[in-house]
Formats: sequence, structure tokens, C-alpha cells
Amino acid sequence: MSIVPEQVAPEQAAPAQPAVAGPPAEPSRYSLKHPRSRIGWIRPAVWLPLVAMLAILGALWQWGAAKLPYLLPPLPSIGRSLSDDFGYYLKNAGITLGEAAAGLAISFVAAFVLAVLVSEVPVVRRAVMPIAVVLNVTPVVAIAPALVVAFGFGATPKLVITALICFFPILINTTTGLRSVPQQVLQVYRTMDASRLEMLAYVRVPNALPYLFAALRIVSPLSVIGAVVAELSASGSTGGLGTVISTASSMNNLAVVYASIFVLALMGVLVMLVITLAERRALHWHESSSSDRTK
Amino acid sequence: MKVSAIELDSARKVYGHGASAMVALSDVDLSIGPGRFVSLIGPSGCGKSTLLRLVAGLETADGGSVRVHGVTPDQACAAKLIGFVPQTPALLPWRSVLGNVTLPQRINTAAARRRERIGDLGERGAGKAPPDMLELLRRAGLGEVVHRLPAQLSGGMQQRTAIVRAFGLQPDVMLMDEPFSALDEFTRETLQDQLLDLWDELKTTVLFITHSVQEAVRLSDTVVVMAPRPGRIVDVIDIDLPRPRNQRLFEQSSFHEYEDLIRDRLHRAWRSADAA
Ligand SMILES: Nc1ncnc2c1ncn2[C@@H]1O[C@H](COP(=O)(O)OP(=O)(O)O)[C@@H](O)[C@H]1O
Ligand SMILES: [Mg+2]
Repeated sequence: MSIVPEQVAPEQAAPAQPAVAGPPAEPSRYSLKHPRSRIGWIRPAVWLPLVAMLAILGALWQWGAAKLPYLLPPLPSIGRSLSDDFGYYLKNAGITLGEAAAGLAISFVAAFVLAVLVSEVPVVRRAVMPIAVVLNVTPVVAIAPALVVAFGFGATPKLVITALICFFPILINTTTGLRSVPQQVLQVYRTMDASRLEMLAYVRVPNALPYLFAALRIVSPLSVIGAVVAELSASGSTGGLGTVISTASSMNNLAVVYASIFVLALMGVLVMLVITLAERRALHWHESSSSDRTK
Repeated sequence: MKVSAIELDSARKVYGHGASAMVALSDVDLSIGPGRFVSLIGPSGCGKSTLLRLVAGLETADGGSVRVHGVTPDQACAAKLIGFVPQTPALLPWRSVLGNVTLPQRINTAAARRRERIGDLGERGAGKAPPDMLELLRRAGLGEVVHRLPAQLSGGMQQRTAIVRAFGLQPDVMLMDEPFSALDEFTRETLQDQLLDLWDELKTTVLFITHSVQEAVRLSDTVVVMAPRPGRIVDVIDIDLPRPRNQRLFEQSSFHEYEDLIRDRLHRAWRSADAA
């Protein structure tokens, strides 16, 4: 009954638990009681370097746009496209974000359930984890075109690809978190004869939360990438920023391409912001939640 | 017939196999009556923690038998007879002090029924009401910090929380593995006082590991001296000092005589180990 692919030797099972993101317990430089003062942003020393850098980059861009008009559109034309067709971008951003979020949600549920199984049942762990570790470093976006052939131009290939991309980081990190409860904590609750379910609910799952959020930080940008790549691979999709980009580039409409990319970047920032807020709420007890990650 | 709270009969534990096998405990006999405070002392590596883990049901003996109130350690855990205090506080960092000490009441709620069916424990704890955890925390000097998270407490406060968590189970047997070894001397003495106070009220049997001779004499009714390679019991010394044992005890010559006696036995245990 060996259904494990042969390239995964059982010996590989042992070192198969590297956290995707290092243990999330990195000590924070800013303690909970002294949040960095927001007043700091008024001081030029704080904001001036960034503004100066943006000005330089903007100037370089404009210079490049003048020299290479077929590569870079002038900044004002991007801005005009954004403001003229605001509703259009908003609608397509909504489609892409919806695909990314739905794929991520499916993946989250599936990976979480499997992580619980993997952490509770050694046989499942030995069968699954080596494969997960290999697939985690495989660029699964590469199968996007094949998925489009299989599932057509609808939402299915987009959901499948985003779910696939998000699956393994969540699985590996959550498994690590469920299994990294200190030995002596386990001993205390074992002497009370806590059931597996009680151990999971009161000890293992809360212990895995910081790892889970670390995974979400990794996969949320990946989920957007997955959705866009799937849209790009399915020329003729009904919508989404990837479709907008592929249509616009085929018509050499560079302003629209870059405007879409700008919207995608904004979307990424927004998603990160939501996750950071959720993390602060859920992990108020954890030192990572007090560190300033947005600096 | 009176059943021992803890009974080891030729208990044996071996780690590893074949040539690398290590006898951690060799034919250990020990019988502890209900309500006694017993300390285990001995050089590190002599199997103290192993013995405690056997009683706690965290490991199984390779020979002989281990009984807690006449039942196996696993049955004792299932009936929540055991309170375990490990060397580190082992608190859940996401729960407040109060949350940590009240969690055991929500775990394994079928234990009370199982406990009633165990020998003479049924009548002893019949209709035992769950303890007022806030009151216990206050008695342990944690009244001000009940809503704090463990990370916001000092090491001594964390260890006190762990002890209150164990006493909150109203265990029949309390197992403590060097609970004070990481604390400074002043904190340690305060915690000893509080431990004796709680023990006196709750009448729990205590098996307490320590590497401090003074701590062993101060706390115990009986001190068990162990020796390594193979791990075994070499001496059982009853401490016949009056209670309550407060700071004045340190001035008494009989206290120091016990200390000297145990130091002497420990040195002998060392020498016999080196000779082996
Ligand atoms: N899980 C284990 N696997 C192998 N050897 C162990 C294990 N636990 C303890 N030992 C060995 O058993 C001996 C007794 O250990 P322990 O009970 O921890 O001693 P103590 O608590 O008295 O310092 C030591 O030599 C230790 O190396
Ligand atoms: Mg030890």
C-alpha cells in the first residue's frame, strides 16, 4: 500500500519541519508599553528620506519615459487613466481580490484540517510532510496554463491555483506550531488526562496561532500573484486585473498596464494591513504582535 | 487497611537498548503515606525526575510496579489525583494568571466520578467543591496580578502560578520537580513558606525533588537520598522537627544536625558512584 512517490525517502521525514517563516517569536525592538510615537512622523528626518527617494525615482521614470516611450508611460498618463476609469479598475480589482480571497480561504480550511491530522497521526505525518516540503519549494504557478486548459476560463482555475499556492506554507507552518508546544506544558496537561480534543483546543491551536499568522503574511501576497497569473494565462477571461493587463499590453496601452500594477500594489498593502490588524487582536499576548512591521 | 499514597515496588526504568542501555532506576522500593511531605535529593542524573515521571504516568516502568492510592498512574491521572509542577512554570502565555489556574477545572470533567470509585478516596473527597481560585491566588500573593499575562510576571510569580494551578486541582498527590531551583534565595524562602501554608491546609501528599539540603530539611517529613549509576535509593531519613517550620527553625541546632547528616549521606552516595 505504498502510495508515496519514490523520490520521497522515509529518511527525509525527520528533518521535514522547517518553519516556512522562522519561529515567529523574534523579540521585538519596540515593547508593548512604549509604542513608537506617531508624533515622530512630523519630524523631517523621518519622512524626508522617503519623499526625496520618491522624487528621484519619479524623475528617473519621467526621464526613462521620454527616452523609451514603448517601455514606460509618462506618470501623468497613468494617473489620468486611474482617475478617468476609476470604476473600471475598482470592479476588476474586486474580481481579482475576490478570487485571491476565496482561494486563500479554501486553502486555509483545507491546510488547517490536514495540519491537525498531520500533527495528531504519525503515519499521516510521515506520508504527507516530505511531499509537502518538496511541493512547498516547487513554483506551482507554473501549472496555471495547464489548469486553464483543464478548467476553462471561469473562476475555477483561478481558485485552484491560488489555493494551491497558499496550501503548503499554511500546512507546514501550522503543523510546526501545533507540534512546538514545550514538553513540560504537555506533561502538565497529560497528568490531568486531557483528551486530544482538549489538548488541541486549549493548548495546541492557540500555540499555533503565531505560526499561522506568519504563514498568512507569506501567502496573502502569493494569493494575489496566483489570481493574476491565472488570469494572465486565460486570455479571454471575463475580468480581473490580470485580464485587464493582458488585454492592454496586447494593444500597447502601457498606461493601463501600469495603472493596474499600481492598483495591485495598493491591494497588497491593504491585505497586509487587514492581516496585521487581525494579528494584533488575536495575538495581543505574543511579542511579535507588538513589533512594528510596517516601518 | 490503609493504602499508601505512593507505592513503588522494585520499580525499574532502563533507557536505550543493548550496549547503550542505561539503568536510570534499579529496583526502587518506596512507600509514602497519605499527607506526607517527602523530598527526593541526590546528585544530578541519579533518576529523581525519572522516578517522578513514573509516578506521574508520563513514563511506564520496565519492571516492578508503581501505584498511586492503589491504582496505576494512568488511572490516577484519569481521576485527576495528581498535581504536577515541572521545573519550568509551563504556563500558557496567551492566558492570564487566572485563566491558567482555572483551565484545569474545564479539562477532563469526568475525573470526579472516576475518583469516587478509587478505594478510600471516595468518602474522603465526597462532595468536594471546586476551590475558590481567586482566594488561592490571593493566599499565594498573586491577588494583584490575576489578570496579567505570564510574560508580565517575575520568575517567582510564574512559579507560584504553576503551584496554584496544581493545588487548584485539589490533588491527592502533588509531584514537584525542583520547582524553586531557578529562583533567587529570598524568593525561594517566601515560596517555601507559601507552599507549606497551602500543603498544611489541603493535606496533600507531596513528593518534592530538590538539590538543596536546606530546602529538603525545612520542608519534609521524610528525605529520600538517591545515588546514581544505577539510580537507586540509599537512605530514607525522617525529619523529626516541629511544625510550623518558620524562619526560627534555622537557629536550631537540630536543624543543622539533620543538614549535616544528609550532606554526609550524599557524599557517601557520590563516593560509591565514583567507585562503581
Ligand atoms: N528520555 C530519556 N532518554 C534517555 N536517557 C534519559 C532520559 N531521561 C533521563 N535519562 C537518563 O537517565 C538518568 C537519570 O535522569 P533524571 O531522572 O533526569 O535524573 P535527575 O533528575 O536525578 O537529574 C540520566 O543519566 C539521564 O541521562
Ligand atoms: Mg531532574
